[in-house]
Amino acid sequence: MVNGNISVIKIRDILLVTVPSDPDDGTISELQEQVLSSMERHSAKGLILDISTVETIDSFFARTVSETVKMVSLMGGLTVLSGMRASVAITTTQLGLSLDKTLTALDVDRAMELLSDALNRSEGRT
Amino acid sequence: MNSHCKGEMPIDTENDIVMARKYVREAAVALGFGVTDVTRIVTATSELTRNIYVYAGSGIIRWHTINGNADGLELIFEDHGPGIADVSLALKPGYTTSKGLGMGLPGSKRLMDEMEVLSEIGKGTTIRIRKWLKR
Repeated sequence: MVNGNISVIKIRDILLVTVPSDPDDGTISELQEQVLSSMERHSAKGLILDISTVETIDSFFARTVSETVKMVSLMGGLTVLSGMRASVAITTTQLGLSLDKTLTALDVDRAMELLSDALNRSEGRT
Repeated sequence: MNSHCKGEMPIDTENDIVMARKYVREAAVALGFGVTDVTRIVTATSELTRNIYVYAGSGIIRWHTINGNADGLELIFEDHGPGIADVSLALKPGYTTSKGLGMGLPGSKRLMDEMEVLSEIGKGTTIRIRKWLKR
């Protein structure tokens, strides 16, 4: 396995997951399982998937990410995809991949802001 | 710049997809492609080597620079798998015979400047893709 280390960090109610830069298919599938079991274990409400070091997103990667977003949502969580590089955004769109319903942010900082706001709103605070 | 590079590697395991991405990235960067074109080429490589692994089980990827009026990179993906019954159908977005998204072939075509698909049922598939250096 190349780049096999997946780091999951818990910050309050939010999990921060850094995706390795060039993961093989097995690592991507493992990441999905690890994210979901961490959501359960930590009773997390939000997830940030940081892809700022990722240089290539192909159809398998994109499908697994959008699946993960759906699964996290079924568990009551909200996902923000953060840090997509310009070259990856161009390529992913031209390849025809859709990450339509996924919340995105330019970096982890803004993803935190977006998630805290959304979580506060859903709890009835302003 | 008149750099020339060529290489090949067999695709037999899932990890070979990662290695192919790595080698092709190195070749594209060495040739002088910008970061977006490198990403396009590497992404198409990922799609087409995965197709080899998923549909044929094994195959080979070859790449070499093209030096002429315009410089470019050509990549050839060859397998002796089941072949594609209807190539024009396989090039339609959303068509898939596996659990995939059906984006691999049409998407790779969009990412590259040229693509040729040769396939024969029971014999295998050869796909050539090219990207030209713009200067």
